Amino acid sequence: MRIAVVGSGLGGLLSAAILSERGYEVEVYEKLPFIGGRFTSFNYRGYEISTGALHMIPHGSRGHLARMLKEAGARVEIIDSKPEGTALYNGEEVEVRKRSFPLRSKLSFALFCLKNRFREVRLSELERRLDDFSARFLRAFLGWSLSITPEETTLTKIYPIYRSTLELGGPGVPAGGCRAVVEALAEVVESNDCKIRRGSKVRSVRKEDYGFSVHLEREAKAFDVVLSDIGHEETAKLCSYRAEKCEPSSGIKYSIAIKQPFIEHTGVLFTLNTRRISGMNQVTNADPNLGKGHFLMAHQPMLTSNVKFEISEGLKDIRELLRGYEYEILAVQSYSDGWPVNRAKAGGEESVKTPLKGLYVVGDGAKGQDIEVEGVALGVEKALQEVETLEF
Amino acid sequence: MMVVTERCVGCATCMLVCPKDAIRVEGRAEINRELCEECRKCMLYCPLEAISYVTPELTQKS
Repeated sequence: MRIAVVGSGLGGLLSAAILSERGYEVEVYEKLPFIGGRFTSFNYRGYEISTGALHMIPHGSRGHLARMLKEAGARVEIIDSKPEGTALYNGEEVEVRKRSFPLRSKLSFALFCLKNRFREVRLSELERRLDDFSARFLRAFLGWSLSITPEETTLTKIYPIYRSTLELGGPGVPAGGCRAVVEALAEVVESNDCKIRRGSKVRSVRKEDYGFSVHLEREAKAFDVVLSDIGHEETAKLCSYRAEKCEPSSGIKYSIAIKQPFIEHTGVLFTLNTRRISGMNQVTNADPNLGKGHFLMAHQPMLTSNVKFEISEGLKDIRELLRGYEYEILAVQSYSDGWPVNRAKAGGEESVKTPLKGLYVVGDGAKGQDIEVEGVALGVEKALQEVETLEF
Repeated sequence: MMVVTERCVGCATCMLVCPKDAIRVEGRAEINRELCEECRKCMLYCPLEAISYVTPELTQKS
């Protein structure tokens, strides 16, 4: 079976690597000169600044992505965070564990879950029932991991994510950052004699009797199956069918070079008393090669659509958080519209299927029910199951 | 001349790859014309195709 993969983001490359390991003939098309999409980095002034994602895998070496990287035969070392996270609350840093939350809030949460299991209730309803610390932690956690606020999501959407975090545990940092992950996957694809064509923009994909024809600038090629890593909307445009609009999530990421370490551990520091910034991690604690000095990354969701205003609020937070420290902001990166944090908001489980049999969407526009790249891995798993059931 | 269009969301990929360090981004990319040597790397690397090259003749006409 011949399979075309459109887009070499994490979803595309993970699919391509596993399929090529299974013996399928795979060809990956990437319109840009580099692979990895929003899951890679460039060395900028001595620091590995990522194109999109934080250098982090939400469930570390125990997660879905780690499992599928293993299946793909990609050699990636994941350094699990210890502790998984701490929270900066009223000037004090506390470790985030079950014990950190007051019993009353834990009971309210349990009750709220029980009552609203099958109803669409916004998480802001839950927030109101919690003590200040727990409420602020909920907000910071959603902002950091999903770039959303409690107002924007519901319990039923977040519950599976909560369960899997309990089950699989907290984050890890891939050694070498996200670039090391996509490079390891590309190596698998290429070692199986499959091609990754950089700088090759797919103009259109047409359904044919035999499968699909994939049209580039000057040539067209025949495939049995097409996997698209560019989201449902863009895929629909390529194939000339209509797709429902899905709402992407927006966010802003700050890369900061800092002279003295600000965080002592390899996990996330959730910042609870801020305007915007929801968390930070100092990635060089896990892998010193990610920067020539201490390298701190901070993230915020966008609460308004005014990017400049959002950045000025985020920068105010950073100034307050890092008061007394010597630091330099290397990059401010905003993500929205066609280059968002997430093409589909978390929990809004988009199917991998399209109206065309044999055409599937992978990547963060067709995530399974988990955070960021863990959701991408689950989506890829589902798409590959679909491919395996096709008969030729 | 390199021109940043409306499609720019401020992801700063152009800034990361610019060999002349001629790009600053805060919500949107801004190219420093004094430093820019028009190598067009930003245009090629932009995920949103938000940077275009405008020839001097075209700029004069407009």
